[in-house]
Amino acid sequence: MSVSELKERHAVATETVNNLRDRLKQRRLQLLDTDVAKYSVAQGRSPVKFGATDLVCCRTLQGHTGKVYSLDWTPERNRIVSASQDGRLIVWNALTSQKTHAIKLPCAWVMTCAFSPNGQTVACGGLDSVCSIFSLSSTADKDGTVPVSRMLSGHRGYVSCCQYVPNEDAHLITSSGDQTCVLWDVTTGLKTSVFGGEFQSGHTADVLSVSISGSNPNWFISGSCDTTARLWDTRAASRAVRTFHGHEGDVNTVKFFPDGQRFGTGSDDGTCRLYDIRTGHQLQVYQPQGDGENVPVTSIAFSASGRLLFAGYANNNACYVWDTLLGEIVLDLGELQDSHKNRISCLGMSADGSALCTGSWDSNLKIWAFGGHRRVI
Amino acid sequence: MAAVLRKLLLPLASSSPIPKNDDHHDSSDEDDSNSFQIDYSFANEYKGPLIANLPRAVPVELDQIPTALPVSFTSLSRGVSYPVVQPLVRTSKVTKKKKNGLVDDSVASCPSVVLKPHHVVSGSSSSSSSAAEVREITLDSDGEDCSIGGNGNRVRFVEPPSQGGDESSYFYDEESVAAAPTPRAERRGKKGSCYRCLTGNRFTEKEVCIVCHAKYCFNCVRRAMGAMPEGRKCVTCIGLRIDECKRVSLGKCSRMLKQLLTGSELKQVMSDEMSCRANQMPSRLIAVNGKPLDEDELFMLQNCPNPPKKLKPGDYWYDKVAGYWGKVGEKPCQIISSNINIGSGHIKKEASNGDTEICINGREISKTELMMLKVVGVQCEGKPHFWVDADGSYREEGQNRLIGNIWKKKRAKLACVVLSLPIPLTSSTVEPNVEPISNKKMLSKLLLVGNDTCGATTIYKQARSLYGIPFSEDDRERIKFIIQTNLYAYLAMVLEAHKRFEEEMNNNHQTEDEITAITVSTINPRLKHFADWLLKEKEDGNLKIFPASSRENAQTVADLWRVPAIQDTYKLLRDTLPRNAVYFLERILEVSRSEYEPSDMDILQAEGLSSMEGLSCVEFSLPSATQEVSLDTDDQHDPNMKYQLIRLNPRRLGENWKWLEMFEDADLVIFCVSLTDYGEYIQDCDGVLVNKMIANKQLFERTVTHPSLANKRFLLVLTKFDLLQDKIEEVPLKTCEWFKDFNPLISQNQTSRHNPPMAQRAFHYVGFQFKRLYESLVGPLSMRGRTFRPKLFVSQVSLESDSVDSALKYAREILKWHVEETSMIQETSTTSIDASLSS
Repeated sequence: MSVSELKERHAVATETVNNLRDRLKQRRLQLLDTDVAKYSVAQGRSPVKFGATDLVCCRTLQGHTGKVYSLDWTPERNRIVSASQDGRLIVWNALTSQKTHAIKLPCAWVMTCAFSPNGQTVACGGLDSVCSIFSLSSTADKDGTVPVSRMLSGHRGYVSCCQYVPNEDAHLITSSGDQTCVLWDVTTGLKTSVFGGEFQSGHTADVLSVSISGSNPNWFISGSCDTTARLWDTRAASRAVRTFHGHEGDVNTVKFFPDGQRFGTGSDDGTCRLYDIRTGHQLQVYQPQGDGENVPVTSIAFSASGRLLFAGYANNNACYVWDTLLGEIVLDLGELQDSHKNRISCLGMSADGSALCTGSWDSNLKIWAFGGHRRVI
Repeated sequence: MAAVLRKLLLPLASSSPIPKNDDHHDSSDEDDSNSFQIDYSFANEYKGPLIANLPRAVPVELDQIPTALPVSFTSLSRGVSYPVVQPLVRTSKVTKKKKNGLVDDSVASCPSVVLKPHHVVSGSSSSSSSAAEVREITLDSDGEDCSIGGNGNRVRFVEPPSQGGDESSYFYDEESVAAAPTPRAERRGKKGSCYRCLTGNRFTEKEVCIVCHAKYCFNCVRRAMGAMPEGRKCVTCIGLRIDECKRVSLGKCSRMLKQLLTGSELKQVMSDEMSCRANQMPSRLIAVNGKPLDEDELFMLQNCPNPPKKLKPGDYWYDKVAGYWGKVGEKPCQIISSNINIGSGHIKKEASNGDTEICINGREISKTELMMLKVVGVQCEGKPHFWVDADGSYREEGQNRLIGNIWKKKRAKLACVVLSLPIPLTSSTVEPNVEPISNKKMLSKLLLVGNDTCGATTIYKQARSLYGIPFSEDDRERIKFIIQTNLYAYLAMVLEAHKRFEEEMNNNHQTEDEITAITVSTINPRLKHFADWLLKEKEDGNLKIFPASSRENAQTVADLWRVPAIQDTYKLLRDTLPRNAVYFLERILEVSRSEYEPSDMDILQAEGLSSMEGLSCVEFSLPSATQEVSLDTDDQHDPNMKYQLIRLNPRRLGENWKWLEMFEDADLVIFCVSLTDYGEYIQDCDGVLVNKMIANKQLFERTVTHPSLANKRFLLVLTKFDLLQDKIEEVPLKTCEWFKDFNPLISQNQTSRHNPPMAQRAFHYVGFQFKRLYESLVGPLSMRGRTFRPKLFVSQVSLESDSVDSALKYAREILKWHVEETSMIQETSTTSIDASLSS
């Protein structure tokens, strides 16, 4: 078979795939008679309302000297780890806003960090293509450098996101610029399984984010520059369970809905979307109204009930709070007094849902909590 | 007047709270006002001696009054209710009368009465927004009920500024002119309780909001004030101006707050409180020579080397020439820095209310000053007008002849102290306005960008060895791995060539006698097997995983290398192999061993280090070399200045170089281009052969125009100059279509020094092309209000360490120029390529 013949067949195959994809899209549109917002309106749901002082910034965590790129809460809800461009990981006590650890990283270009479920170790990754694990119990030397307790090396591109498997301190999932996600065994430092890459159903561009389901730890979602999100089962690495199309730009962030049956995405096309993993359907698009160019979504987080979706945007310091049911913007954290002075790059909801932490390029983290009187709806 | 009265009445009324006549003259609750009414606001005709400085009703600038919060209607329409603090109106006739008196004839107002700006607003302005209108309504409503906003059955209390006996709460002194109305919180609970949880009594410790005077107990402070980015303010008050009467307590917090916050947090909050913009004194409250200052002027005044002490709102005069500073109508109180351009430039003759007819710098001096002049022996007969400089030297107006220096006269300073006149600070105490050290950048980031084989990694490695930063053990281990991998690749190249020779030989083995010496039989089966396997691995691209087994293979490699046939092939091939290959193959026996430790030179020669890791960086400081003295002497570089060289492969930054924004803080981008690229081709993603120089050009365009690298300086480093010297003779530069116009003038006279070698000219030409491209891509930079055209700097580098050193030093110079350029708009003429190009 000659090269030209191969090319021809490849072109034909691509054509077929695209056609099928278009037909699928058409069919989906046909079947899509409603979305969450329309349905909720029909059901007569009332919108969420926020007063001016209902959501207040109750702590400002100052200490980083560079842009904050990532943050993570411990499950026991009072500690935060944050990663910044100044080349440090800082572990904060969110209640007292004290720093308990400051870890100097060998590579300053860190993109992600994660707390282990037992709160004893933190993981981080970045442009050095390595996911480094630090034990918080190990003592720092005089320069403040904590020895790396484990290096998870093997990615061929930057490590864009890492997350511990819930309730398993020994397992960690990373996503990388080499188009793969990897499940690691932290104790041995070896790959347990690789998702994507050489396999046909893997992402075709850099993977930017992962999120592991809280209800079923075997399932995780990945979002990628190929504008898709994929659902994976860690027990079957060979192929993605499902691929979710819809976005028109890089999927920057994915996050499981609290019930574990849905997930949200944020993309460079300026929208957040809600997908159902059982049907594969897109449930709702959250797009800010108004014209002009689409502002990329940098990070998202759900409230504990899932009613609210917090989304950080790449322009200035916008962070909208969406009503997930009605698809309306309830509040803009950037408009509040005392908000960040630069782009909000990461969001994190505490495990019990009582507080939201935001990290920003202005090198601060802020913790927001409900300041009003709680009304039971 | 009222202040005096009140002070008199203070002991009498100590049992009940005094209705304080501050700018919300409704500050007492109704019960109190009924039981205790003092009519102290009668406007008596003034019969005393003439007063020069009657308090003026300061004109109100409507746009500066912060009463009206900008309420965006889009948010209002969604039904979000914003708390609008509405002042209560005291409804007694007395207040009304006084109010009318104030507005009608402000001239007759007694000295302590302050004209409240929001009265004027409510009376005249129709453009004020909703908050102000609310206030207007409440003022105009006749006030049968004091409950505005619906819940009429509850009496509202408005908090007096501070509880009992606090001196600072009586802000009714003459200096606080026209305090801006600040929102005042209403307490809904009983007196003394916390504003939020409505519990507690007056003895529970509370923290007061410095804007609205709301008080919160220990449990509520955090919730009500949030993270306190502007100090002790309610969340709703953030951004608002503080109540002027609270200015004295700025930075002084209660014990309760100290318990609540940690030490560092408290320090941060307090420093924020003092330094944040919203809490600064409104500049318009300070008038100098009859003109209110704007913010820049106030900043200038407060940041001059010798600023006025304890600056309070008020009217001041300022003698720009000598630096005298005082309140209008009073003698000078301080000598501040001279020549600050604030207020109206002209000092009024009667500024210090003098009656001596003697003038200093156009100001009629007061009697005390005249006395001082007499004591120090200045001739004051004939009412002379003096012109005094900042250093104290004086002359008569209109004459050039110096008479003397006041401060050098005997007893001058003593007299001044006695007469409580200001004396200038001695020069030693005046400290120069030093920039804070933290602002000075001690680390400059140099970003090394370039295609795969552009030599950027060589520069990186050179820098490491030049400035003595050795590779770590881990790195060395990795480099060793790479070198050995490369070695097998080189060996495979030789074997491949050997195989080719073999085939050729088989085709015509009858003729060539010499080559028959190299026969298949000379390689024994084991080595043959190894060789075949190696070639197969290379074809499959599996060499990367290969050296794991190198321990066992070391001997095999050595044996294979010793085979004469291979040796002969190598000798034939030697000139065509890459330089690095020759370098390592020469030492194959040593390198292939498992205990091999790469030397610095080996590391330099090793290829492909960059492809292994996403990013590598090294931090170094350039030693201040002795030969640099030949430049100018004041051109000293800070030896503490650190440089961070970051080798970055843009391909690794993801699609669209998404993560390049992480390098936004880089100071200089060093773009590397290999000079030999003009004759080489690579396959791009579509499988089309592209000239590597064109690929470089595209990468350069992308880099320069990337938004994250906007306003950055670029240094183009053209590498592999030494290789160009050989190559230019064989392959003309015109091979690359971008360099079609390269038509060097070749002089007949080969020895002439105006006839530089071809490689040099080619280098200049390439540099010139890139410069032209750069100029077409980059518009003028604007920085601090000035614009200038950025320049592309070009440098050349070969493998030698000297050239790398000079290139990095050049980078340092560029950074220095950059600083200078941004401070003054002088296009520095450099020793860069420009000069040589024009010649």
